[in-house]
Amino acid sequence: MKAIEVKGLSKSYGPIIAVSGLDLHVDEGEIFGLLGPNGCGKTTAIKMLLGLVRLDSGSAKVLGRRAGSKGSLENVGYMPQETALYEELTVKENLKLFAGINGLSGNEYRKREDEVLDLVNLGERRDSILSTLSGGQRHRVSLAVSMVHAPRLLFLDEPTVGVDPPLRANFWRTFRKMRDRGLTIIMTTHYMDEAVNCDLIAMMREGRIIAQGSPSDVMSRSKAGNLEDAFLKLSREEVKV
Amino acid sequence: MRPGRAFLVTKRIFWSLRHDPRTIALMCFAPILAMCIFGIAFSGNIENVKVIVINRDQGAYVPASNMTIRISDLIIDNMDEKKLNIHHMTDENEAIGAVKDGKYSSIIIFPEDFSRSVVNASQGGGEQAVLRIRSDQSQVNVATEIVQTVTNAMLKTLGDRGMKTPVAMDVSDPIYGKGARFIDMFVPGIMGFVVFLLTTLLTLISFVGERTRGTLTRLFANGLTEGEIVTGYAIAFGMVGMVQVGILLTVAILLFDIMVVGNPLIAFLIATLLAVVSVSLGILLSSLAQRESQAIQFFPIIILPVFLLAGIFWPREAMPLWLRPFSYLIPVTYAVDALRSVLIRGWGLADIWVELLALVGFAAIFLTGAVYMLKFMRGR
Repeated sequence: MKAIEVKGLSKSYGPIIAVSGLDLHVDEGEIFGLLGPNGCGKTTAIKMLLGLVRLDSGSAKVLGRRAGSKGSLENVGYMPQETALYEELTVKENLKLFAGINGLSGNEYRKREDEVLDLVNLGERRDSILSTLSGGQRHRVSLAVSMVHAPRLLFLDEPTVGVDPPLRANFWRTFRKMRDRGLTIIMTTHYMDEAVNCDLIAMMREGRIIAQGSPSDVMSRSKAGNLEDAFLKLSREEVKV
Repeated sequence: MRPGRAFLVTKRIFWSLRHDPRTIALMCFAPILAMCIFGIAFSGNIENVKVIVINRDQGAYVPASNMTIRISDLIIDNMDEKKLNIHHMTDENEAIGAVKDGKYSSIIIFPEDFSRSVVNASQGGGEQAVLRIRSDQSQVNVATEIVQTVTNAMLKTLGDRGMKTPVAMDVSDPIYGKGARFIDMFVPGIMGFVVFLLTTLLTLISFVGERTRGTLTRLFANGLTEGEIVTGYAIAFGMVGMVQVGILLTVAILLFDIMVVGNPLIAFLIATLLAVVSVSLGILLSSLAQRESQAIQFFPIIILPVFLLAGIFWPREAMPLWLRPFSYLIPVTYAVDALRSVLIRGWGLADIWVELLALVGFAAIFLTGAVYMLKFMRGR
């Protein structure tokens, strides 16, 4: 089954076009990266797939169901750009809250608590109040919360922004580990260098996709040595056209 | 200290304000609102109080006038029409029923021998005339104003006729609130005010926080519906409202020995309903604020009308007639009336159904509004 099937997705805010005619197809078990500079429509696209932003036109299916429907959200995890957790609660209380919202029983939660905290290496801090943790640790808690209900598909919105290089490497190890367990990951990033870790990428500019494929395909098609150069070349070509 | 740099800080604040017209509007609107409401509410006297007069006076021959007159009629004529809205009845039980129903504030009873006693006493013989006033003392200041108005009318009437003999006023048998003090009337008002104020403001701040922190988006992304969020908030703050009333009642009883005639459990029910109304109002208002600092500016707009128009400190009878209908647009008015009726009058659920229905109505409208507002905000 396709994890994501999107056709002609568009969204405008008055005269500003956020997303324009987006077409995407992502298979299950892949790490898919949505690349582009700030303000190119990546976050809006993710929010549309989560039902957080109304579509102007087009259609979107997530795990075979209408995007944003109850059925699709049950199997989806979401890590927003900001921490978006309750700072006054402990790590465990935050996890428990979102596990409960996703319908996990007490026993199921206890099993998952250890699993996800081990994955983000925060087992020791489970009883710490969130506001006492460092920025990087909070980011890891946010990732753990998005995975607590064992979703089949994980949306990560700029998961590595503001994260130091060692932690970023650690995050990528975690993403690959999760992908190997069958999880599909859709992530946005404007760090072109780290997008080579994705199985597939789509480059976005001004709300539209300008290239799609594996990182090596995109680089060879644009005859660039890295994804950043590829993006710049493709952008220039777009402007010429 | 370099004044130039300090001035830069001042400039920065005005730059920020320039980009925030909502804050400027609130900064200008709040003082205007405060002055208008305080001015209107406190410049008025207690007026248009509905009272019942039972006049059994059979009259007496007054030698100075050389005719038989009913002095009670003269006193009634001299009562300030602006202050007292007089209705005549003959049956005392029927009149008591009307006061118990909350339609009237007081019964003024002239006995059969009123004129005779006044004439006899002024001639140096007989017993002093006694005028009975049976009030609803749950509104202490209204009851006091009635006694004052009747006393003024009596003094004027007797003074005009050259009768200096005072008339005794028997107020020892009120219909409600025997021995009630100002604080007994005040405490139910404070209960309603505290529950409303804290719940609305806490919800408002908390909800704006949910939006700015991104937790609201995360809750939606995890499949939580608008109805579930609003209901969750309403249950939590409904429970907080009950605890607040419990604390307020305990303190008021232990420290101030306030009057509790009715069932305190009904007071908890009223507080819970008011808290639910307040939660949904807080959520609705949160849509108008983009950040906590803007939410704080709503405080005077929320507090002032309730403080002055809901009859918490000052009876609604003291408001200008044109302003009184506005008090019925404020949910706290119904909660305070119901709390006062239960605690001082000893009324039960059957007697306060109108107030309960009004609170349920407000809750239904505001809850629905809050859910739709969240749906609207979510899809943008």
